[in-house]
Amino acid sequence: MRLAPLDRKVLRDLWRMKWQVMAIALLIACGVSVAVMSFSAQRALATAQAAFYEETRFADAFAQAKHAPLSLARDLAAIEGVSALDVRIAEVGLMDVPGLARPATARLIALPQDERAALNGIVLVEGRLPDPARTDEAVALKTFMTAAHLHLGQKLSAVIGGRTFDFKIVGAALSPEYVYVPAPESFMPDDAHQGVLWAPRPAVERVAGMSGAFNTAAFRLAPGVSVAGVLRDVDRLLAPYGGRAAYARADQPSHAFLDAELKELSTSATILPPIFLLIAAALVHLVVTRLVEAEREQIGLLKAFGYSDLEAASPYLKLAGAIGLTGAVAGGLLGGALGAAIVDVYRDYFRFPVLDVTFHWPAFAGASAVAVGAALAGSLMAVRRAAALSPAVAMSPPRPATYRAGLMDRLVRGAGVDQATRMVVRHLERFPMRGALAALGLASSLSLLVGTQFLFDSIDQVVDQAYFRTQRWTESVGLAEARGIAAVIEIGRLPGVTAAEPVRVVAARLKAAGREETTRLVGLDSDARLQQPLDARDQPIAFKGDGLVVSEALAGRLGLQAGDRVWVEVLDGRRPSALMTINALARDYTGFAAYLDRRALNRLMGEGDLANRAELLVASDARPAFYRAVEARPGIVGASSRDETVAAWRQAMAEAFRVTLIFYVGFAAAIAFGVAYNVTRISLSERSRDLATLHVLGFGHGECAYILAGELVILALAAVPLGVLGGQALAHGLVAAYSRDELRLPAVITAQSYGLAIAAYLSAVLLGGALVVRRIWGLDLVSVLKTRE
Amino acid sequence: MDSSHTTPAFDIRGLSKVYRTEAGEVHALRGVDLQIAKGETLVLLGPSGSGKSTLLNILGGLDRASSGSARFHDLELTTASDRELTRYRRASVGFIFQFFNLVPSLTARENVALITEISRDPMPPEEALARVGLAERLDHFPAQLSGGEQQRVAVARAIAKRPELLFCDEPTGSLDSESGVRVLEAIAEVTAAVGATTMIVSHNTSIGAMADRVIRFRDGQITEVADNPRKTAPREMAW
Repeated sequence: MRLAPLDRKVLRDLWRMKWQVMAIALLIACGVSVAVMSFSAQRALATAQAAFYEETRFADAFAQAKHAPLSLARDLAAIEGVSALDVRIAEVGLMDVPGLARPATARLIALPQDERAALNGIVLVEGRLPDPARTDEAVALKTFMTAAHLHLGQKLSAVIGGRTFDFKIVGAALSPEYVYVPAPESFMPDDAHQGVLWAPRPAVERVAGMSGAFNTAAFRLAPGVSVAGVLRDVDRLLAPYGGRAAYARADQPSHAFLDAELKELSTSATILPPIFLLIAAALVHLVVTRLVEAEREQIGLLKAFGYSDLEAASPYLKLAGAIGLTGAVAGGLLGGALGAAIVDVYRDYFRFPVLDVTFHWPAFAGASAVAVGAALAGSLMAVRRAAALSPAVAMSPPRPATYRAGLMDRLVRGAGVDQATRMVVRHLERFPMRGALAALGLASSLSLLVGTQFLFDSIDQVVDQAYFRTQRWTESVGLAEARGIAAVIEIGRLPGVTAAEPVRVVAARLKAAGREETTRLVGLDSDARLQQPLDARDQPIAFKGDGLVVSEALAGRLGLQAGDRVWVEVLDGRRPSALMTINALARDYTGFAAYLDRRALNRLMGEGDLANRAELLVASDARPAFYRAVEARPGIVGASSRDETVAAWRQAMAEAFRVTLIFYVGFAAAIAFGVAYNVTRISLSERSRDLATLHVLGFGHGECAYILAGELVILALAAVPLGVLGGQALAHGLVAAYSRDELRLPAVITAQSYGLAIAAYLSAVLLGGALVVRRIWGLDLVSVLKTRE
Repeated sequence: MDSSHTTPAFDIRGLSKVYRTEAGEVHALRGVDLQIAKGETLVLLGPSGSGKSTLLNILGGLDRASSGSARFHDLELTTASDRELTRYRRASVGFIFQFFNLVPSLTARENVALITEISRDPMPPEEALARVGLAERLDHFPAQLSGGEQQRVAVARAIAKRPELLFCDEPTGSLDSESGVRVLEAIAEVTAAVGATTMIVSHNTSIGAMADRVIRFRDGQITEVADNPRKTAPREMAW
C-alpha cells in the first residue's frame, strides 16, 4: 500500500522530531504504566485475597473469651444473622527458637474436628497435618518458619500458661488470619518472633487446661445483616465468660492491613496518571503549535493547491495521536513489567497460596484512550490555527516576530541589563502561556520529589515520637493475666533490668454523641518515666484525677475535645462503664489509645493494684540473659524489644518505600527532563537563526548557550517555590491516603529533604536542557543565514 | 587604485572549496588568487553558484577552505581554530546579510548594543544609528521598522565596532530600489568614516559602480578583475 504524501510527512516529522516525541511519549508512558501497574497489582492482590478467603472460609466476625463452655456455641450459632460458627481454643505463650536472641510468641490454635466445616481454615503448603492421635506434633505458619529459619521435623518447646508443650513441626501452612502478622506494640511484621501453631484439639486442651470449653469464636454472617447488632449479641453472650469485645473482619489486623494496601494502590493509580497526562498534553500543545508556526507557508501552500482545512490540518492531529499512541503502548509494556515486579515484592509480605498477576487490559485500554485523547486535545488549538491560516500566507514576505517592551523594561529601564539577558526575558514575555505551562510542568516534577521525600521524614518522625519520646522502654513484657504489682517487681529483678514500671491495659469502647470506637485504656503510673503521653508541643501530660488523656486521632473520630466527657465501657473483667472527662489530648501517630492513671483504671475495674504489662530498661549487654530468664517464667506471653522493633520497622519501611521511591523519583525525573528538553528544543528551533547570527557576529558558543539556556534556568527557578508548595500539598494528600488507624503519618519535610529534592530536580532539568544546548556547537552558520525565517 | 590602498588586508592564494554531496563533488572555488588592499571596496559579481558567496564566507570566518591559503595579517584563516575564527569575527569583521538578521526581541538600539557590548572601543549605538539616519527610531523593534530601515540598523550594527573588514552578502537583495540606494549610501558613508575594507556580494551589476575594483566570478573562478577609477555615489548609479 502506498502512503499518501501527507502521511509520509507525518512519519518523517515523527522521525525528525524523534527525541522530542520520545520525551513526550515517556511522560505518557509513565502515566499509563502507573495505571496499568497499580490496577494489575491491585487486582492480583484482591483476587488472591478473595480466593484464599473463599477456600479457607475466612470469618466475618471474631470474638475472644477466657473460658466459655462448648454448650454456649449453640446460643452463639442461634444469633440472628450468624450463618456459620467455629469455636476453638487458642492460647498464647513464649517459645525459645534456636538462633533468635529474644523468645518468640507461641500462638497455639486447636485444629478443627471437621476441617470442611471449619472457619479460618489453613492451607497446608509443606509436610502434613498432625496425627490427630498424637499430642506432640504441630503445623506452623509458613512465614514464621521462613523468617526464623525453621524446617520440617524441627523440635521446639513452648511455655504456655505455665505448661510446657514439646512438639515437632510436621507441616507448614498459610492462614487467612495471618496473611500479614503485626507484632504486638507495633504494626509492622516481625515474622520471626510471631509463631503461630496449629495442633490437634486434645493437645491444645491439655496445654490450655481446658476441656469442653473454648476461648475464641469466629462467625460467618448472612448477607445484609447488621454487623454491629451481631457483635452486641456476641458480647452479651460471652460477657459472663470473660468475653472481650467482638470485632468485625474490618478490624481484623491482617485483613485491615491488606485493605489499606489495596487502597494505597488505588490512590497511586488515580493521583499520578492525570499529572503525567496533563503535562504530556501541554507539551504536545507546545510542540505542535511550534510546528504549525514553522510550517505556515507549507500549510498555506497546501490550501492554495486545494486541500481542505481538515486535510491541511490532519497531519498535525495524526502526529499528536501517534505520540499519544507510542506513549500508551510503551506505558502498557512498562506497566505490565512493573506490575509483575511489585507483585513480586508483595509475595514477601502477603502470603497467599496463589498470587498471580495478569495484565489489566481495562486499565490499559482506559489509560491509553485518555492518553491519546490528552495528546489530541493538546494539539487541538494549534490544529485549529493551522486550519484557519489563509492560503495567502504562503506568498507573504517574512516579517520579524513581533516583540514589545515588557515588564522587564518597565522595571529596570535599561540600566545594567545586557542584550543577551534582554533576549531571554523578552522571549519569555512573548510566550507567557508557554512559560506558564513549562513552569507548571517543572513544578509538578519538584512536587513529586518533595512530596515523596516526605515519606521518609514522616516515618523518622513517627519512630522518634513513638519509640523514643512517648515510649522510652527498651523491652516490654506482657502478662497472660493481670497480676499484682509484686509480679512486676519480680520481673524488675531479672538480669540486666535497671528499671521496671507496671502498666495495665484493657480493651474498652468509647462512646460519645452517637459515635463509638473500640480502643485500649492504658493505665500508667502518675510518675511513669518509660511511657508518657505527649502533648502537641512534645511535653509530657500529667494525669489529673480520674480523667483521660486521649489520642488526638481518636478524639477526632469521636468528635471530642479536651474538657468533653465520654462514656467508657470496659470490655474486660467485670466490664464496668463510667462517664469520664477528657483532660487532655495526646499527639501520637500509631494506634489509638486513651491513657489514665493506673490506679484510677484499677478503681474503675473494681480491682486491686494490678498490672498486665511491665515496661523495662534492660542493659543491652544483659539482654540474652534477660530473655533466657523471661522464657523460664510462666505467665509471660510476649516480649518486645524496642531496638529490634525499630530496626525491623525501618527495614520493612525502607523495602516497601524503596519501590515506591524509585517509581516516584524516576517519574519526577522524567517530567523534569521531558519538559526541559521540549521547551529548550522549541526555543532552539525558533532561535537557531538568531543564535547563528550572533555567532557570526562574534558571540562565542558559551554566550549563545546562555541565551538559549537562560530561559530554562529562569523557568526552572521560578518553578521551585511552586513545586515546594505543590510538594507540601502532595504530602498532605499522601498523609490522607497512606494513613491508617495504626499509623498516621505527620506531614513533616526536613530542610535536607527539600535540598535533595531540589538537587535531583535541577539535575534532571539541566540534563534535558544540556542535550539541546549542546547543539549550538553544531549550528550551520552559512545555511542558517541563507534561509528566510 | 589610489595610494591608501597599498597595505594588503588579505593575501589569498590557490583557495579552493569542494563540497561533497550525494550527487558528487561540487567545486565551489577552484584555486582563487587575490590580493585585497586595506580600505579597498570590492564588489563581487556573478551568477548563483559561481563561488562569490563561498569566498565571502571563507574570508568572513564562517566556512573553511578545502585547500589554499587566505591570510589576514598574521591569521591563516584556512587553518584557524573555531575559537580563533570567533575571535576574528568578533574583533575584526562586520557583517551585513541579505535578510538583515536582526534579533526580533531587541530594539534597534539594543541590536547595535549587542555588538558594542562585546567590542573594544566601539562607537555608542546612538551614534552608529545616527550615521545611518535612524536617530529617531532608536527604540523601535524590528517588526516596527521597514525592510530598508531594518537593513540600515544592520549596517549600524556592523560598523559600530569600527571593524577593519565589512562583508555584505546581497545587502539590497530583499529591498526595493529606493531602500536599496539608502542602504548602499549608508554603507559607503560609514565605511569611509571607519576606513573599513569592504566586500559586497551582489547579483546587481550596477552596484559595481561604487567599487574600487569589480571581481567577476564564474564556475568557482575569477574571470575578470576590473579597476573602477571613477567611483560613483549610490544615488547616481544607474539602478
